[in-house]
Amino acid sequence: MVGSAMAAPLQNAMKLANVAIQLDTQNRHKDAYCEYLKSINYISQALLDEAVTQDGTEIVTADAQKMLKLAEQCLERAKSTATKLGKLEEKPAALEQHRPTCKPGHRRVLSDGGQATSPFLPPEIFEKMQIADTQNTKKELTPMEEASRLNQKLKATYEARLARLNPSQAMQKTSLTLSLQRQMMENLIIAKARQDALQRKVEERRLRLQEEANRRFSSSACLTSEEQEQRIFYTSILEYDQDHDWPRNWKSKLKKNPDDLSLVVGLLSCILSCPEHPVMKLLKKLQYRIYNKLYSIVSRANCSHNLVQKSPAHVASIGKQHSMKASHSIHCMQSLQENNQMNNEKMKHSVSVTSLPLIEDYNANTDSRVQQQTQHMNNQETSTLSAVDKDGSFEDLEQFLPQFQGQPESLPNLSSQIPGEFLVLSLENDNLPQQLKDIVKDIHNSIDRLLSLCILSFETLNNAAAKDQCLAILEEAFFTPIWTLLLALFRKVYINRELAFERSMALYKNMKPCDIGVKSKLFPSESSPPSGCYPYEAAVIELKQISKFCCPQKKLECIVKALRLICECAEEYRNSNEPSTSHTSAAIGADDLLPILSYVALKSNFPQLVSECAALEEFIHEGYLIGEEGYCLTSMQSAIAFVESLHKGGAPK
Amino acid sequence: MASGGAGGGSKSYSFKVVLLGEGCVGKTSLVLRYCENKFNDKHITTLQASFLTKKLNIGGKRVNLAIWDTAGQERFHALGPIYYRDSNGAILVYDITDEDSFQKVKNWVKELRKMLGNEICLCIVGNKIDLDKERHVAIQEAEGYAESVGAKHYHTSAKLNKGIEELFLDLCKRMIETAQADERAKGNGSNQAGTARRGVQIVDDEPQNAAAAGGGCCSSG
Repeated sequence: MVGSAMAAPLQNAMKLANVAIQLDTQNRHKDAYCEYLKSINYISQALLDEAVTQDGTEIVTADAQKMLKLAEQCLERAKSTATKLGKLEEKPAALEQHRPTCKPGHRRVLSDGGQATSPFLPPEIFEKMQIADTQNTKKELTPMEEASRLNQKLKATYEARLARLNPSQAMQKTSLTLSLQRQMMENLIIAKARQDALQRKVEERRLRLQEEANRRFSSSACLTSEEQEQRIFYTSILEYDQDHDWPRNWKSKLKKNPDDLSLVVGLLSCILSCPEHPVMKLLKKLQYRIYNKLYSIVSRANCSHNLVQKSPAHVASIGKQHSMKASHSIHCMQSLQENNQMNNEKMKHSVSVTSLPLIEDYNANTDSRVQQQTQHMNNQETSTLSAVDKDGSFEDLEQFLPQFQGQPESLPNLSSQIPGEFLVLSLENDNLPQQLKDIVKDIHNSIDRLLSLCILSFETLNNAAAKDQCLAILEEAFFTPIWTLLLALFRKVYINRELAFERSMALYKNMKPCDIGVKSKLFPSESSPPSGCYPYEAAVIELKQISKFCCPQKKLECIVKALRLICECAEEYRNSNEPSTSHTSAAIGADDLLPILSYVALKSNFPQLVSECAALEEFIHEGYLIGEEGYCLTSMQSAIAFVESLHKGGAPK
Repeated sequence: MASGGAGGGSKSYSFKVVLLGEGCVGKTSLVLRYCENKFNDKHITTLQASFLTKKLNIGGKRVNLAIWDTAGQERFHALGPIYYRDSNGAILVYDITDEDSFQKVKNWVKELRKMLGNEICLCIVGNKIDLDKERHVAIQEAEGYAESVGAKHYHTSAKLNKGIEELFLDLCKRMIETAQADERAKGNGSNQAGTARRGVQIVDDEPQNAAAAGGGCCSSG
C-alpha cells in the first residue's frame, strides 16, 4: 500500500527532473537551474508529508530511497548549472566593471600588483567560454570510450567480489584476476577494431561527400579561395546532415511552409543551440578571431581610455599629460607590460622597472611631480611641457591633442631606452580609425559568410524575407559577446566627439526646451509639470536604454522608440496647450523634431551615445537605411552633432 | 537604383525622397496633404510628419516612397549630407511670398548637385499659391532657374490641396525612368543583384547606389 502511494510522487518527481534535464541540454541554464530546485523542493515536501504520517519503520521505503537519490542527482546538476550561470554572468559583469576600473587609482594597482588590467576578458578566456558553451550538450561516445567505461564497471564488480572472498581462497582470486584481465583486453581489442572500421567508413563518406560538393561547385573552372571555402563548408554540412536527423526534419517543415517566418526563427535557434553544426563552428571561430583582434587593439590603446569617462576637470589633468610626448610612452609601456604578464616574456622586469616611477606620476597634477617626469625628457620637450603646464586651460589642450595624435614621428626620446616592439605599438596606436575600419569590414565579412553558410545548409532560406530574419538572428548571436569590446574601440576613436558632447552637456544641462528652439506649444508651461520631472523625460529614459542591448538592431529599436515617444509627448503637450487645433495641421515635422531631439540628447547625460550611434551607422542594414530606422538614426546623429557644436559657440538658438 | 521585389513578374521600386525648405514654407503641410489625402489618415506614421511612407502603383510598377523631412533651421545643416545621401529625389520647397526662402532653395540645389550629381531628380516647388497676391518670387525667374539646373518647377498650395498629387506622381515617374536607365547602364546584371548582398555592395566607388539596391527586399523590419 505504501508503495503504491509513493508511486505517484516518484513519477512526478521524475517528470520534473526530466523537464529540467531537457532545459539543461537546450542550454537554458537559468530555467534548468530553477527546475532542478523545484524538483528537489517537490521531493523533500513529498517525503516530509510521508514521514509525518507514517511510523518510524515504514518511512524509508524503496521508492523513498529512489526519490532521495533523485534529489541528490538534481542537487548535483543544479550545482553544475549554477557554475555555468556564473560563467555566463561574467559577460555583463565585464560591462559593469567598465567604469570602476577607470578610477585614477587603478593604474597604480596595476603597476604594483600585476593584476589583469583590462575590464575585458582576455581572448583565452573568451575562447574557453565559447568551448564551455559547446560542451553542454551530450556527446556520443566513441567505441574506445565505451569500452573503457565497460572495463571500469568490470573492475568494480571484480573488486567487490574480491572483497567478499576469504583470504584462504587465493586460487579463486587469481582466476578472477585473470578473467578480469582477459575480459578487459577483449573489450579493448573489439573496441579498437570497431573504431578503425568506423574511421574507415567516415573517411569513405567524407570522400564521397566531397565529390558531391565538388560536383555542385564544378561549374567554374578555377576556384577562388572563396569558392574553395564554400566547397569545404558544403562537405561539412553534408556530413553533419547525415549524422543528425533534425536538419532533415526542418528542411521538410520549411518546404511545406516556405513563407512562415516563425519557422525560420525556430530553425535558427535550433542551429544556434547545436555547437557542432558547421554554422555554429564558423560563428565561434570568426567571433573569436574578431574578439582577439579587438582585444589586442583595445588593450594597446588603453592610454586614451581614461579620457572618456572623467569630469572635465579630471579630463583636463589627464589630457594635459596625454598631450605630452612622454606620457604617451607611459601608456604604451603599460600596455606592453600587460602583454608581458600574459605572455611571460622576459622583458617584464626591465619594463616595469622603468615604468614604475612614471606610472606613479601618471595621476599627478602638481607641478613638482611633473617636473620629476621631465628628467626623462630633453630640453625641447621640457619647454613644451611647461608651456602646457603653466597655462593649463582646456582650450589649449584641445589644440595639443590632435597635434600629437596626428604625429607618429614625434615619438618620445625615451625610445632609446625601450625595445623596438614598443615603437611599433605606439605607431599602431596612432592609427586607431584605420584599425576600426578594418574591424568593421571584418565583421561585415564574417556575418556575410555566416549567412551564406546558413543558406547553403538550408536552401529554402534563400529568399529575401527569410534571409533578413536569418541575418537578424545571426547578428544577435554574433554581436552579443563582442559588443562591449567593440564599443570600447569606437569610444577610443570618437573620444574627441564624446568630450565635446560632454562639455556641452556640462554647460547646458539646465537648459529649457525653449532655449534650444523648441516651440513653446510643444512643451508644458512652467507651472504644470510636477517637480522632479522634465519634459520629454520618457524619451530620455528610452534613449538611455540603448546601452543595455548588445546588438545593433535592438539598439536601433531603442532610438526609434525614443523618437516615437517624442512625437507622442509633443502631441500631448500641444493638445494641452492648444486644445482647439486639429490633429493633422500641426503634426510634428523635422523642424520641430530636431530641436526636441537635441534637447533629449542633452538631457540624456550620456556621452557614450556618440559612439553608440557611430557604431550603429556602421552596422545598420542597408535595407533599413531609407526606412524609419534610418531616418531615426540620421536624426539622432544630426542632433548629436548639434549638441557637440553647442559648447563651441554662442547662442544655441 | 531600384530593386527587384519579392513578387514574381512585376517590378517594385523603393525610393527615398528628401524634403528641403526653410522653416515656414509649409513643407510639412505639403507632405501631410499628400500622404493623408485619400481614404484615411492612417498614413501618418508614428513619427508624424517627419518621416512618411506611401505606396503607389504607377503603370503596373509598385513604388514605395519614403519621404524624409529635414529641419529648415540653419544650425542643423552641418549634417545635411547624411540626410540626403542615397536619395533618389529631392523636393525643394519655397514660399512664393518669401524671396529669401527661394534663395535658400538655390543653395540646396548647389549642394545636392555637388554631393549626388545628376542621379537625383530635383523638384523645385513654389508653395502657397493661394497667396498669389503677395507673391515675391516671379514665376519666370523661378521656372528659368529650375530649368537652368535641370530641375522641374511646380506650383502648389497645401492649403487648397492644389498641385501636390501631380508633383509626386511626376517625381515618381522621373525616378522610375532614372532607375531604369541606371539598370540598363549596368547591363542587365540581374544575376548579381539576386545573390549579392550588402558587404559586396559597399564599395567606395558608388556609395549612393548601395542602399537602394538592397532596399526593396528588406522592408520587413
